[in-house]
Amino acid sequence: MNPERLLSLTNRWFSTSVGLTLVIFLSSAICGFLLLPYADADSRFSGIWDAICNAAGFPVKSSATDIIQPEFKISGATLGLAELTSPSPQSIGRGATLAQQCAICHGPEGVSRADAPNLAGQYAQVIYKQLHDFRSGARTNATMGPFAAHMNDRDMIDLAAYYAYLPRIPSSRDSAEVPLIVASGAPTRGIAPCGSCHGTIERKIGSPWLNGQPAAYIEAQLRYFASGARRNDTNQQMRNIARALTDDEIKAVASYYAGTQ
Amino acid sequence: MTSEDHAASAVVAQKIERRWAAISILIVVFLTAMAAVAGIHQATMPQARVEIIDPEKIHLSGEFVETNLGSAIEPDGSVTVRAVGQQYSFTPQCILVPVDTKVTFRATSADVVHGLLIQQTNVNTMLVPGYVSEQVARFSRVGDHLMPCQEFCSVGHEGMWAMVKVIDRNEFMSLAASKRRVSCVE
Repeated sequence: MNPERLLSLTNRWFSTSVGLTLVIFLSSAICGFLLLPYADADSRFSGIWDAICNAAGFPVKSSATDIIQPEFKISGATLGLAELTSPSPQSIGRGATLAQQCAICHGPEGVSRADAPNLAGQYAQVIYKQLHDFRSGARTNATMGPFAAHMNDRDMIDLAAYYAYLPRIPSSRDSAEVPLIVASGAPTRGIAPCGSCHGTIERKIGSPWLNGQPAAYIEAQLRYFASGARRNDTNQQMRNIARALTDDEIKAVASYYAGTQ
Repeated sequence: MTSEDHAASAVVAQKIERRWAAISILIVVFLTAMAAVAGIHQATMPQARVEIIDPEKIHLSGEFVETNLGSAIEPDGSVTVRAVGQQYSFTPQCILVPVDTKVTFRATSADVVHGLLIQQTNVNTMLVPGYVSEQVARFSRVGDHLMPCQEFCSVGHEGMWAMVKVIDRNEFMSLAASKRRVSCVE
């Protein structure tokens, strides 16, 4: 056994191995934090600490200048409200009272006889979002605009809760007759199946339940989306789809969801 | 079997072992070198900085509002493309870029994890809600590329793709002169 002490700088093996480890550590730190970040031709660091922090992965807030702001109102409704998913009985009751003014078009039980959307059983987030957009001007409609203008957030939440509480119209449609565009979309033209957002396969928050809606209403909205007359769909999610639909497909979708096909 | 035979066969075995060891070391060296060359010359480098953004508010203000999406010319002559991925489409649906120009893609997701991949190129990144993905590219030929979502993002995933059209630089500049954000969405 060697009498020499192991952990001592006088031990040549110890000092060499520790020295080597330190050299490797420092050179990799210099490589990783300075040389490689600066070697990237697209790096735009404001200084050495900026480069080091970025290489270490400290997040920075995205900040871009020269942003082109929209000249139209963008839908600003927040759909994550807990009251929309689990409303109180008081909210539903108050909504029922408020809904009396809607009954002339949307029907006393939320089923329209005037080609206005059927609201019975519609998702609460959808009703809240559309009312919010009618009030802010993100969605324009000569009839709905003046109604929504006088509503506050409480009214909208209560109306949404009431209509979501009502039972949906039972479907009388034969499931064997689903048009191709509804069943599987048109992936080669960038169209996902309708049901992948609208609830029959998968539900995307903010997308309406379409079964039983009047054909004239669905057709008109698809055409508005396609032409850009309606643009309260966040990030163009529905305009992207409606633009790719053919005239026949729009008609097929509308009559399928209306249950007339 | 005599002890001489045994010694002779041991020598042969040793020779064979040494040869196989040399071959496997060569294979290891070759693979390492291949990875190093590809990593240095053809790799897509990881993003230089981690940028965060509130995914619930991207459509309301900031660089990802819908009117700011598309291709923009920067003061240094390069082009920045901004895009949003969402269930189940990219906005803009058709991206226009000039050939032989530095193009910086900046994109984010509005809902779940999506993927941005431009076929026939090495542009390939994930779009993670809450983060801005940035990647620099340069297209050497005029032509069209598909840009499918490459991360399964739920049932409508197969319908989610956009088009990247690479066009002549002068043609792009004349289009960009009349509009501040360019895309080929009709």
